[in-house]
Amino acid sequence: MHALLFSVIDNIRALGWGGAFALLRNGLVLGSLYALIALGYTMVYGILKLLNFAHGDVYMVGAFLGFGVLTQLGGPTALAIGIVPAIALMFAAGMAGSGVLGVAIERFAYRPLRNAPRIAPLITAIGVSFFLENSVQLLTNGYQYTYDPFDLGKKGNAEFGPLYHTVFSVAGNGVSVVQIFVVATALFLMVALVLLVSRTTFGKALRATAFDREAASMMGIDTDRVIAMTFFIASVLAGAAGVMFGLYLGVTYYFMGFLAGLKAFTAAVIGGIGSIPGAMVGGLLIGLVESFSIGYVGGQWADIVIFGILILFMLFRPTGLLGSRAIQKV
Amino acid sequence: MSDDPHTPLPEPSDAADETRIGVDSWVAEAEGRQARKRGFFGPAARGWDASPDPVKLFLFIAFAATLPFWLSEGDLFVYGLFTLLYATLGLGLNVVVGFAGLLDLGYVAYFGIGAYGYALVSSPHYGIHWPSLASLPAVAVFTGLIGLGLGLTSRRLIGDYFAIVTLFFLQAFLVFTNTANPVIHGTGLTGGSSGIGNVDPLKFFGYALTTTKQQYYFFLIVLSLATAGLYFANRSRTGRAWRALREDPLAAEVMSIPVNRLKRLAILMGAALAGLCGAIFAAIQLAVTSSNFTLNVLIVMFAVVILGGMGSIAGPILGAIVINVSLQFLQPQNDHPDIKRWLFYGAIALFIALMKPWYRAVVVLVGTIAFGFAVHAIVSATTAASWTAGNAADAGSASMGKHIAGWVIIPVGHGNFDTIAYIVLVAAVCVVRSVSGWWRALALIPTLYMTAVVWESVLAPSPAVTAEILFGVLLIVIMTVRPQGLIGTARVEIV
Amino acid sequence: MATPEPTQEPKPLLELAGLSMSFGGLVVIDNLDLVVNEREIVSVIGPNGAGKTTLFNLITGIYSPDSGEIRLDGESLVGLPPHKIARRGAARTFQTLRLFLNMTVIENVMASQYGQTKVGVARAILRTPAMRREEREIRARAEEKLSFFGERLMGYRWDQPAYSLSYANRRRLEIARAMATEPRILLLDEPAAGMNPTETHEITELIGKLRDDAGHTILVIEHDMHVVEGISDRVVALDHGVKIAEGSFEAVATNPRVVEAYLGASASVTK
Repeated sequence: MHALLFSVIDNIRALGWGGAFALLRNGLVLGSLYALIALGYTMVYGILKLLNFAHGDVYMVGAFLGFGVLTQLGGPTALAIGIVPAIALMFAAGMAGSGVLGVAIERFAYRPLRNAPRIAPLITAIGVSFFLENSVQLLTNGYQYTYDPFDLGKKGNAEFGPLYHTVFSVAGNGVSVVQIFVVATALFLMVALVLLVSRTTFGKALRATAFDREAASMMGIDTDRVIAMTFFIASVLAGAAGVMFGLYLGVTYYFMGFLAGLKAFTAAVIGGIGSIPGAMVGGLLIGLVESFSIGYVGGQWADIVIFGILILFMLFRPTGLLGSRAIQKV
Repeated sequence: MSDDPHTPLPEPSDAADETRIGVDSWVAEAEGRQARKRGFFGPAARGWDASPDPVKLFLFIAFAATLPFWLSEGDLFVYGLFTLLYATLGLGLNVVVGFAGLLDLGYVAYFGIGAYGYALVSSPHYGIHWPSLASLPAVAVFTGLIGLGLGLTSRRLIGDYFAIVTLFFLQAFLVFTNTANPVIHGTGLTGGSSGIGNVDPLKFFGYALTTTKQQYYFFLIVLSLATAGLYFANRSRTGRAWRALREDPLAAEVMSIPVNRLKRLAILMGAALAGLCGAIFAAIQLAVTSSNFTLNVLIVMFAVVILGGMGSIAGPILGAIVINVSLQFLQPQNDHPDIKRWLFYGAIALFIALMKPWYRAVVVLVGTIAFGFAVHAIVSATTAASWTAGNAADAGSASMGKHIAGWVIIPVGHGNFDTIAYIVLVAAVCVVRSVSGWWRALALIPTLYMTAVVWESVLAPSPAVTAEILFGVLLIVIMTVRPQGLIGTARVEIV
Repeated sequence: MATPEPTQEPKPLLELAGLSMSFGGLVVIDNLDLVVNEREIVSVIGPNGAGKTTLFNLITGIYSPDSGEIRLDGESLVGLPPHKIARRGAARTFQTLRLFLNMTVIENVMASQYGQTKVGVARAILRTPAMRREEREIRARAEEKLSFFGERLMGYRWDQPAYSLSYANRRRLEIARAMATEPRILLLDEPAAGMNPTETHEITELIGKLRDDAGHTILVIEHDMHVVEGISDRVVALDHGVKIAEGSFEAVATNPRVVEAYLGASASVTK
């Protein structure tokens, strides 16, 4: 045990300020992705009190859709169209495809169980998650598809290269275009979501349905449609995150949804399940924790550290940082 | 403001001494009449319901005890021992999921902890060799306490949080045993990805359980004891409290039932049973690796409980039999390609046959066959030969395997076909679910054909992953169509 | 309909003092004082939203008060979890019926005896003589409670699932279930809701019987004034979480504040 502690301190010293900045940078990027996925979890939980285990796999499908589009367009080395429209198409495919998938899952797997005991849709969610993961594994032969064979980011790749150029450096560690892009896009989507929820009529309907579904439907709100739209929005965000994950890290594989989903869910819980700002904060927090854990403690312990944090929150602050106590109506 | 409060009110109708119209005894018996099971399995189901529970257990044990006499050792291991293992694990999971209503997704981690725990005290890893009489209970208790610890963290034990905490616990367990593997007392605690080997077999009073037959009988005893124990627990004050808390936790709490304490008890018992299974498993495999405790195994356990019927005791046993036998039968190494093919198409035929009314079923059956031939003819005539050039997987020389390629489309070399066909199939299933009546029958025809196409070209060639996909689908289908499983009783829920 | 002839000093069983609770900014119970004496039947009336069910939730521990005291037989109930409060002797029924629907009638009444019994799961598995004896006692007690309602919930009814019961029978079953906890005080939340005149009359008599024969103290929330008039020794009126009147039925029913709460300020009193 002390050996571990000493090695942590050694690592901190070894990495120094530059290293710390790199970890911070990585954590923010990763955290933005987790935040987007966590938003999906928190929105669905807020409106249906359902843990959508399959959400992480929707994210994974989005990543694959983006990758698929890129391949069809000739890949990063021989793009048939310019880089900007290519990326736009990737996003369109990833987001739209994930959105449709999310709506379909809600419609066929969860809606029949609207009035069933709480455990039923949870089990179905596991079934859906398992189905998606293994289907993709089957269809991709379990490969971990990397964008690397396309030499992403290597110089000489005229099309995609610029995406990985360094914009500025701090203490010798660079921040690249793609990293800024990910954080900026995530921020943009989150702001859009907050505006949607707080300023539009739909947002009002959403909040009403989340508060009391029966009353909302009696007030003339089509709750089925609101719920479907919620799943759509949640899945679209996850799809965007998936595409960005692929661009940023250059990999997609069938199991990525499970791990990311687990951590994003932890983020949602830590931030306060049901709270949209909570999911954002939680996501960033988890991203930073993971990044710094990998850097200072060692990759194999990162997951355990995050698990430890989850347990701590469960014990001492189950409503999360920004969540509110649920009042039980009797 | 009020009327004369002394208006004489009708005499309150008193007890049902005499049978009167509309009075309840007839209504009550109507329930019984409707519940009388009919249909093909009717007499069997009624016989099953009518026989007292100890008889059912005895019949099962008697049958199971005969297995070693007519199965080969290899088959006994795969079909017998593993079924018992899954049945016992299912019983334990049922305590947590079925009795207490908690989704414990880390359940397979308890199985693993039991296995590793036993291995650590019964192997050269640290040179500790406890006698089995001590190690088995110790490991079970230890695992139970870990489960209890997890339960204590989710203070209000709200099901959703507990699910995530336990799932993450499983992940942490896998990472811990596989990669983290901290060094304690000189060697890695868990042996990393190669695990711990040279584990001692079970030894009782100098008698070691080394053959499959011995291990099988031992496990059968364990399963029987566990079944009886849980049966008695269910029919006691604790069992009633569990069922009450499953029905309505708030009302149960107000009716003097300490809900959280009972949930923790269920978690403890479930984890302990899983730990015990893990220890026995390690003693049978004579080694422990974390690959035995993955998410895939968890899904099988859940499928066993859900298919059999949550909350019932016989349910997991039946579920284990059905699932393990199917699973093992479909493994690549137990290859019976022809039978597998017959099973698949037989299942489709059965599905069609269950449609009512019968003429609709006939239309669908004939339509699907005709549709298939039509499509095949069109495709062979109009496109390149490679589109229908493929052979059915594992066709061998079996007659059906050869001919099926003349009905379904199995292309060779068209990479995207798999993905597109798969997506089309999923979409088609969604369409079928959204319409009803004759539209559904019509939509079923191309859907069933697509199912066969996808099966032959995509799924059958990869049986391992296909099994996992089928498990996922099984969970979805059961929860949406028949949530009580095969032998559970349908529950009435307050809306 | 019985006015008890007090032969001794009324002894307070349930005492609420300065009880307050708010949800966010909404004050639901405001500085409420209430005393229920042993073997009294007290009715709580008030328009919807007055806080009556919240009051029951506070007493039974589902909610925690922001301030104030709740005492049962002199001992404080504040901060105790509901199952301990049930064990101390406060049992309730629910406005919207919360039975254990998939359990049989008799199992419902047996389940609520958990707090007074003690055989644990280990002895249950081993089926010790003590366990079997306790099971017999539990069953006998359940049958006794159910017999309170005549033949309706007896005999073949015991083994029927609770969901097969008619509405009125479900209400009776819920009362039986509450009785099985051997409570000092019974909290009945709108026991006559949804009942026809015949059934309402029966419930009125039943509540009297609960006090006279079974010796329970009863706190009732009710909207039906016939029932309130028929059973109450005392009536308490709440509005917006505040006690606005207390006394005999006649006094409270004609109290102008009560009339105003129900009918609005411009209503004139007619009787």
